[in-house]
Amino acid sequence: MKKFLQNKKLLSVCIVVIALFTVIGGSVSLRNKRNTPLVIQSLGNDIVAVGARVVDFPIGIISGGFNNVNELLNTQNENNYLKSRVSELEQTKARNSSLEAENKQLKSALKLKKTLTDFDQVNASVISRSPDSWTDILVINKGTTSGIRKNMAVMSGGGIIGRIVEADAASAKVELITTTDKSANRFAVEAQATNGKKVHGIITVIGDKTLAFTQAVDSKKLKQGTRIYTSGMGGNSPKGLLVGTVAATTHDSFGLSDLIKVNPAGELNDPTTVTVIKRAVD
Amino acid sequence: MSSLKKYTLAFALFITLALNGSLSLYLHPLYGFSSGANLLLPIGMMLVALIDDTNQKELWLAFGTGIVSDVFFFGIIGIYTVSLPCVCWFLQKVARFLPELFWARAVFTLIGTVFLNAYNWLFFNLTGIAKVSLGMLLKGLLPTFLWSAAFIILTYWIWNWLAIEFPFMVKQENYRS
Repeated sequence: MKKFLQNKKLLSVCIVVIALFTVIGGSVSLRNKRNTPLVIQSLGNDIVAVGARVVDFPIGIISGGFNNVNELLNTQNENNYLKSRVSELEQTKARNSSLEAENKQLKSALKLKKTLTDFDQVNASVISRSPDSWTDILVINKGTTSGIRKNMAVMSGGGIIGRIVEADAASAKVELITTTDKSANRFAVEAQATNGKKVHGIITVIGDKTLAFTQAVDSKKLKQGTRIYTSGMGGNSPKGLLVGTVAATTHDSFGLSDLIKVNPAGELNDPTTVTVIKRAVD
Repeated sequence: MSSLKKYTLAFALFITLALNGSLSLYLHPLYGFSSGANLLLPIGMMLVALIDDTNQKELWLAFGTGIVSDVFFFGIIGIYTVSLPCVCWFLQKVARFLPELFWARAVFTLIGTVFLNAYNWLFFNLTGIAKVSLGMLLKGLLPTFLWSAAFIILTYWIWNWLAIEFPFMVKQENYRS
């Protein structure tokens, strides 16, 4: 022991390693427990976010140019498809507005103010992505000043893509739904079974970033293509946000329980603009 | 204004940090990239360490760069905060025996990227931030290697110029006539 204490180099290394583990443990714990990051962390993030926005501007123009050329090449096919959907859309729109009015009347009759399906939206642009493909973290250009808070659901391309894990004043971090982070909050979801009953469960990730509907009680009654929505349970996201569709129902590696693989509905691969969902009910 | 010259390298790394995030966003959907990593910023830092190998202050620069990038990209400290100073310290030691040639520096920078990738894999698995199998690490090595080689070729001249003309925290006016 005396020899060890006299060896200054070894002692320094030990102190550095202990300090390192403390900092790592502390920062991971802070990230998971705190609703808002430390002021210094928030300030640093916002400063870098400003730089990222400046750098992102010319890159976005170049990338947008390439995308425009690609979209131009697909215009004819897209136009034909959209024409076939126009009449259907009008019909849906009319039905939607009448249902909305009816819903409003029923809510006022029942003296309901806000329900699980009520939410507000904040549109934001993605300005940065984590450099590795393992952590699945995006940085968006809106933060607490726009009303964004930790754990809010984030959508892109018509479906849920993740949730806010850190909200700074002018930027926020989004953890994608495909994350394998053990401490990540999972979405509580539901789907309508073939017998008309609702099947509840949560969305988890299995294997190589495949989404799965787990903890479902009656999973055999879910057909391929069944839409999966958020159930509003769990207190973070509203009810009725599309998560994906049932891809296949198989057994887990032990053969004991059913495993429902899910095709995500959101744009997970290239989300350049996102919508943050603010649940109306607290 | 001239007193700020000694911070030019830090400013350049700040821009690279922002560029790294933006490029990751646009390059991610490309084929092969989904299993790799964009190490533009660490490559810059490693090249600076190899070129300006006698400047011990570069290690503090690596440490600072690590903290800022960790907080911005991941929201936790310990990924680049640890790996960047360690790999830069190693490269500064190695640089004393290396010829001052592009290919020699490129090879050791590529070795550094492998170390960074391996450390990130270990860190993510230990802290539970991401569950990454050994197979995924190995699968990601080749695309990371190829992208890193491209970034080294494209950015070497910039880092060479910056590290020689604007070494971190060194007043160059004292040596110029």
